[in-house]
Amino acid sequence: MSAFKNTEELNRVLLMLWDAIREDEQMSSQLLQSKISISFYYKEPESKLTVDCTDGNEMKIYVGEINFKPVVEMYMKSDLAHDFWLGKVNIPLALISGKIVSKGPVNKALALLPVIKPAFNFYPEIYKTIS
Amino acid sequence: MDPFVFHAPTKINFGQGIAISAIELLKELGSQRAVLITDKQLVKTDLVKSLIKEWQSQGSLFVFSDVLPDANLTAVNDAARLAKQEKCDGVIALGGGSVMDTAKVVNIILAFGGNALEHQGMNNIASRLLPSVAIPTTAGTGAEVSPVAMIKDDKEGKKLFFGSEFLAMSHAILDPELIVSLPARLTAATGLDAITHCLEALVVEGTSSPFTNALAMDALRMLFNFLPEAKNNCQNMEARSQTLVASTMAGMAFSSCGVGIVHALSHALGGQFSTHHGMTNAVLLPHGMRFNLSFAAQRYAQVARYLKLTENTDDEIAANILIESLEKLIKTLGLPSNLRGLDVPELKSEKLAQLVALASSDPAMIFNTRQATPDDIVEIYRNAY
Ligand SMILES: NC(=O)c1ccc[n+]([C@@H]2O[C@H](COP(=O)([O-])OP(=O)(O)OC[C@H]3O[C@@H](n4cnc5c(N)ncnc54)[C@H](O)[C@@H]3O)[C@@H](O)[C@H]2O)c1
Ligand SMILES: [Fe+2]
Repeated sequence: MSAFKNTEELNRVLLMLWDAIREDEQMSSQLLQSKISISFYYKEPESKLTVDCTDGNEMKIYVGEINFKPVVEMYMKSDLAHDFWLGKVNIPLALISGKIVSKGPVNKALALLPVIKPAFNFYPEIYKTIS
Repeated sequence: MDPFVFHAPTKINFGQGIAISAIELLKELGSQRAVLITDKQLVKTDLVKSLIKEWQSQGSLFVFSDVLPDANLTAVNDAARLAKQEKCDGVIALGGGSVMDTAKVVNIILAFGGNALEHQGMNNIASRLLPSVAIPTTAGTGAEVSPVAMIKDDKEGKKLFFGSEFLAMSHAILDPELIVSLPARLTAATGLDAITHCLEALVVEGTSSPFTNALAMDALRMLFNFLPEAKNNCQNMEARSQTLVASTMAGMAFSSCGVGIVHALSHALGGQFSTHHGMTNAVLLPHGMRFNLSFAAQRYAQVARYLKLTENTDDEIAANILIESLEKLIKTLGLPSNLRGLDVPELKSEKLAQLVALASSDPAMIFNTRQATPDDIVEIYRNAY
């Protein structure tokens, strides 16, 4: 069974999650320091979420289309994203087997991983709100 | 057994004198006019001169020989532009890792257009590229079978990563005659790159398999047995063959399971100081292994016993014997044992911070069995200096 019934449910969880990350002093300051902009494309159900830290002051989060080109783009199934936030994905294997697609400078995408890891702790609570 | 993926799409052809068949192989795949990517050093040798002549008599060929050591963006973009003008529909790479990595990214541009920077990433190539043949002249990088390429961005001082199952070459031609001209020092250094591939592939986290282990283990045996002879007696065709085939086996292993901390730190140094990849690995490998020791003693010990370096049943003792034997091998081969020997300038704290940022976000790092903090990385660089 899919972790999300539809796009609306997926978006609700993702927005709550990224809002929480933005509120977290440590994570948000590291993200802003990196000045990264990154779009996540999800499928089954479909969605697109962009995190823009390029101005170094404010983390902007968009759902849907945007009018700029992000530095990094990541593509994956929504279920894989759900398992990722639960800390259940073998990331090296997901990369080797092609389940995660990353466009753009790979080191920028990988530098993100340790930064957002603390969010694994509050994701289960956020996910619960839709079940 | 844990889940794994093993992928080895490149057809491997081995034999003395078989490089001549490259055009024929490409024709079978439908290519009418190939671009040959190679370097100036190689086209000066008699063997390569006559090979090119022979290929030109068999079919249509455009030669691009401006690849410099450490594949860089300029060569990639120039080669792609010219090959497009020349209407090439197939790619031959004749050279070491620098040439093969250049050829792979040129192939992406020929197939999909745009420039190299637009195609960086992991798994973001949508479909097959043009037919391709790799003929390694070092033994080596394993790039003739690997699905990755690293291209240096000189402006940024870092290596860009390209990875996709479609980057693997259609054919690899392993012809030991082409390795004979490789100077002793580069024979040793590129052999150490292959040894590093084996020793990193054997201890990765979460991606190894009985396939990758078997390939890496036996490749190591061949390299330990034949690398000194290949270096001391360049003409010894058996030693050249064994080390060449072993380096391809090592390439097949890491292609499906990744490498580790030694490659991550080595890529960072190579990006900043243009140190030779294999030589840098040779310096860093014992340090990387000592860092991983507490997580990988059992696997290192298995290697030590398989190589008949010891029969000791204590894993920690056997693992240490492996590291010491490796250090001895590196010394016997006349390779530098520290970064000063690679002409790396003293690492001040600002430079170290830059290296740490590059190394810790290098794709190789995610496969390493033990997570490295910035302090760990600094310590390895300092110990290796
Ligand atoms: N894609 C991969 O899987 C992979 C793996 C490891 C390393 N690499 C890359 O490979 C590059 C290093 O490649 P390399 O170690 O093969 O060296 P190289 O290709 O940079 O060549 C080094 C020098 O050796 C010379 N040379 C090569 N073959 C020769 C021969 N037979 N006779 C005389 N001279 C010869 C070249 O002209 C060059 O001057 C690095 O850029 C590294 O990042 C790629
Ligand atoms: Fe390597």
